[in-house]
Amino acid sequence: MRSPGPCLLVPFWLGPSFLGLLLLVQACSLPWGIRRQPSPRGSLGLGAESRQEPGLSGDGHLLASLMLRSGRSTVVLQDRRSGQVLPLPLLRGQQPHSSPSLSWNGRYLALLVWRGGRRQVVINDRATNRLLPLPLRGDRDPQRLSLAPDGRHLAVQLVDGGQSRVEVFDLGEWLEPDPVPGSLLQGPPSGSRS
Amino acid sequence: MSGAGQGSRWALAPAPGLALVLCLLLGGCLDNGVRPLMGLNLQLAHSAVNRDPALSSDWLAVIGGREGREQVRLVRLSQGGPVPLPGLNRPDARPVGVAVDQWGERLALIRELEGRSELVLYRRSLQSLQLIPIEPAGVPHRLALSADGRVLAVEVGRGGLSQVDLLELP
Repeated sequence: MRSPGPCLLVPFWLGPSFLGLLLLVQACSLPWGIRRQPSPRGSLGLGAESRQEPGLSGDGHLLASLMLRSGRSTVVLQDRRSGQVLPLPLLRGQQPHSSPSLSWNGRYLALLVWRGGRRQVVINDRATNRLLPLPLRGDRDPQRLSLAPDGRHLAVQLVDGGQSRVEVFDLGEWLEPDPVPGSLLQGPPSGSRS
Repeated sequence: MSGAGQGSRWALAPAPGLALVLCLLLGGCLDNGVRPLMGLNLQLAHSAVNRDPALSSDWLAVIGGREGREQVRLVRLSQGGPVPLPGLNRPDARPVGVAVDQWGERLALIRELEGRSELVLYRRSLQSLQLIPIEPAGVPHRLALSADGRVLAVEVGRGGLSQVDLLELP
């Protein structure tokens, strides 16, 4: 994948010191000290390939996104910093994938897959290596998902009778929680409101 | 959170269509013990449109409302009702995608305004809205915010290619 930063525009002969200065200037130009991080570079030659629909684990360590493989949209799970690609063998053959959403430490990956001639909601439990389908009654067509960091709730955008709506499901009796560290109960990084 | 959606504090609007209620009730009976939050789902069903949900612990951000008049809404699951977002929604802006941290404090939003797509970060406690420039220039399409509010991932269209930009927030 291409880095989103300006480094691609810098001639190599200007050297790393110039690049560092440029990155520093750019970082300072963003509000509140926001820093841009180069997108992860994996070992699969992600340099020029399109990436879509990002999903982050609750702790921000893992990034799920979609890329085209053999013309089919396929979810790729990576360590955000190192770019290391993590295997998802249970999802093979069920493309196109869409709307990946991760729990706190990435144990659970919820997404839409193509199964039985229709889009279906599944949750990949990476700890137990299981793929859990979430059947929806009727002809309701799931469009997008969002999994809560602790894995207790799932929000699904559905199309029903041509109308788009959101429903939330309690997964508490279905999934073990993906525990959120207690330190995070302290509050947001800066500023809070109950 | 287990009681989410049960004790809704939203005032119930006039009863929705019987077909919709039946659909929601039937949809609630899943085989594997997965249980819909009926109260919350009925409340959400009162909007003509609801899309692009973002869950983070006790908070649900959605884009909803009437066609052409959509707004970002933030709902606290344990209380079953929306919270105010002063300064976030504009009548002349169309929200595209939203994400929220686990405290319901930071919301990242892509919106279309005056023919442009822009990325903004909203802090609820401060009621402040900050534009985040897309560099190099591109069109933001989708986004994700880590639950700890520290990392923002944005799908950006540039020259016919979609890329994912990663931003670390202080």
